[in-house]
Amino acid sequence: MPRNSLSAACYHRYRIAVLPRSESYRSRPTLFFLILFLLCFVVSPRAFSADSNSLDDAVRQLADRIAAIPNLHGPLRLEFHADANLAADSTWQDSLRQELEKHRLPVTDESSAPLLKIGAVETPTQVVLSASTRIGDRDDVRIVTFTRATLSTPALAVAPIRIARQLIYESSDRILDASAFGNAAEGGLAVLLDRNAGLFALRLDPSGAVKQTVSLAAANLRATRDPRGELIDKGASAEVLLPGKICEFSWAAGEEPKCRAKKVEARTATVLTSPCDTSNWKLETKGEDWSSPDLLQIAPDSAARAGSAALFNEFPGPILSINGELDPGSALIVARNLRTGNYEVYKITLHCGN
Amino acid sequence: MRFTKSLCIAAISAALLFSLAATSASAARRPHYGGTLRVELLSSTFSLDPREWKPGSLSAREDEKLAALVYDRLVTLDDYGRFQSALAVEWSRDAAAKNWQFKLRPNVKFSDGTPLTPADVVTALQSVLTGNLQLAASENSITIRSPHPVPDLLEQLASGPHFIFRALPDDTLLGTGSFYVAEIDAASPYESNPLATKPARLRFRANEESWAGRPFLDAIEVTLGEPPLRQLFDLQVGKADIVEVAPDLVRKARQDNLRVWSSAPNTLLALRFDEAQPATADVHLREALALSLDRDTMANVLLQKQAEPSAALLPNWLSGYAFLFESPMNLERAKEIRSSLPANEAGGAEPLRLHVDATGDLMKLLAERVAVNARQANLSVQVITHIVSSTGGAAPISSATPPMGMHLFTWHYDSLSPRVELDALLRQLHLEPSAENSLPFIEPEQRFTEERRLLEERRVLPLVLLPEYVGIATPVRNWMPARWGAWRLADVWLEKGESAPPAPTAGASPENSAMPHGRGAHP
Repeated sequence: MPRNSLSAACYHRYRIAVLPRSESYRSRPTLFFLILFLLCFVVSPRAFSADSNSLDDAVRQLADRIAAIPNLHGPLRLEFHADANLAADSTWQDSLRQELEKHRLPVTDESSAPLLKIGAVETPTQVVLSASTRIGDRDDVRIVTFTRATLSTPALAVAPIRIARQLIYESSDRILDASAFGNAAEGGLAVLLDRNAGLFALRLDPSGAVKQTVSLAAANLRATRDPRGELIDKGASAEVLLPGKICEFSWAAGEEPKCRAKKVEARTATVLTSPCDTSNWKLETKGEDWSSPDLLQIAPDSAARAGSAALFNEFPGPILSINGELDPGSALIVARNLRTGNYEVYKITLHCGN
Repeated sequence: MRFTKSLCIAAISAALLFSLAATSASAARRPHYGGTLRVELLSSTFSLDPREWKPGSLSAREDEKLAALVYDRLVTLDDYGRFQSALAVEWSRDAAAKNWQFKLRPNVKFSDGTPLTPADVVTALQSVLTGNLQLAASENSITIRSPHPVPDLLEQLASGPHFIFRALPDDTLLGTGSFYVAEIDAASPYESNPLATKPARLRFRANEESWAGRPFLDAIEVTLGEPPLRQLFDLQVGKADIVEVAPDLVRKARQDNLRVWSSAPNTLLALRFDEAQPATADVHLREALALSLDRDTMANVLLQKQAEPSAALLPNWLSGYAFLFESPMNLERAKEIRSSLPANEAGGAEPLRLHVDATGDLMKLLAERVAVNARQANLSVQVITHIVSSTGGAAPISSATPPMGMHLFTWHYDSLSPRVELDALLRQLHLEPSAENSLPFIEPEQRFTEERRLLEERRVLPLVLLPEYVGIATPVRNWMPARWGAWRLADVWLEKGESAPPAPTAGASPENSAMPHGRGAHP
């Protein structure tokens, strides 16, 4: 049972975990109705007529609005003006062509065909899709917008040979550390995160849904711009190592975590064992700071592989934590994705050959 | 006493933090605490009072950067389009976006140790928010009500002058931000050489009690009024860590392998017609001049590709539709229109006078280019340079000065709301919104239509858009500014060992030194 559900149904809606987070509420009925009321009060950005809530919806809506332009007849010649991010993904452009064809507005490359300019621009808060065409002596313009924060992340690139990399969780909250959930039968993940200047330990099921949230307010830490902590999951219980403190709690019991002063021992560099020849490989990064992507270096750490070249794996942002799992062939890595701003947990596994 | 206590807290915090530092030895390099960041700015005056800022002015752009060190906002916007909590931890609104509620972060203190109250927030916002908004404070939250929808309220609160501060009876402003103003050293003559002026300096110290955590830097020292070449030199020799790089020096800085960052183009340079010279009332004359303008040459040759030609009032990164506006040069058409005008207009009886504030060579160069372009269309334009004093204030135009027909002006985009920005620009230029668009331009199509109408009237002719360029010293880490220009210095740290020795501190106390136009928050 959750012990410390975050009682913030209206917790600002822009701060969303990308994977489902089913934080169940073990609250009194009054709290339940209050939350329902607040949820009704909060309105999604769709409330405004020209708004849409995803790129797919926006493309459909734009096609509908183009089709409604009086005296516009196909076939049309399209000219795209898109920001670099949106220009790189041609899927939405193909979708728009298909949607226009559904409206009997076929697309052609003929230079004599009427020109339809299509824009796709990311402003600080929105994605603006626009269409402009000349009807008579006037440009007719249609604009559709949607909240930029809802732009989805494209699928993760395939992991390079010999290192399997899997994105297993991501959140807009700052993840400090991740640990494989100790109870192997249940699977899942435990993460330590900083949410709104407070520390929380989360237990996630294998699908990424939040099963339990434990507040570490008992640690009574000073606010810091560089929060640090390590989570060690032990199945039924867990330990959180914080600067000068250790907090222990049981996932099962309903009591507050108990924290005490303790000099924390350093987590040693993570070493993985190859399943092929039991050679050891040390995980290291060379990150300069939090403003640039990191390169994970997997260097030989045993005589058996002395002289072997290191393997490299590029991350979409700085690597913030590396934690060896129970399985000696894999590790959990927390990194910040500089493109999306989300914090991500990856599982790195060494594989033989390909 | 307070200083000693702060020092103890800092020492304990640092010890605790470093006790865990080794645990992450295999992850990305952790930030270092300490050091003084030395910043040099071109502006010679400053104001930390958001109530005094003039919308769209370049001075407000600089002031906002300094104010962001000492004040917080209710919310901030990250680089991914997500609003993040700052002094507000939760917010909600009704379906019409007319009623908003912000729950405030508990236990936030001003730099003098007094607690932030909802009443402080209401008072501060009331003095800077535009529009007919009603603000009210309750136990731990504030509400904002508007007679019409304000779906972009978060964009407004996350930008511009919308900081939270408390005004003391002596008009000093207190903030809750990551730094506080420790010293203000006014510009003064050097003792050794009274003919030379020692630039003004501001020193900000880390706020140990900041709700967001102590910043990594111990202090930030800002030197004001440094000329562009001097700034670049100081960066090269390690006497400055962050400097402004003038557009005409960007190429040189890059050739010298200096680290240069550029923002999205956030300053518009444009022409505004003024009916003080009656000929400008003729729309055909304005059209002929508009068609003669060669924006590509202005951006690519005069500004060495460090600017973008612009035919729109709002930049593409803010409106999303600016690319739809085109205004190609068409000299033949311009000449044709000119020939249809009365012979005594624009060059016949008297030239069109173009007024330009001589704040730099750039403005003069652009104005002269406008005159050259106009001449190609048989229009006569005379550039009148208006001398600006060294303190940044413009000398009054004498009564003997003939009436001006055009002004070359700059506009800095300081709001993240395109609606607010367009509205502010219209008000500044004394342009009336059209009758059907008299309500706020909430929908993007409304904004587009309004902007198109203004551009077709040709009372304003956009020329080019300029980004901000910043030179960054090698030891500066976590330089992660927003693309619209916010610097975010609270997250910056200095690499030890690479830093040049700290500059000597200014000696004047806040009590006995004051800038001509400045106010500051101090503990």
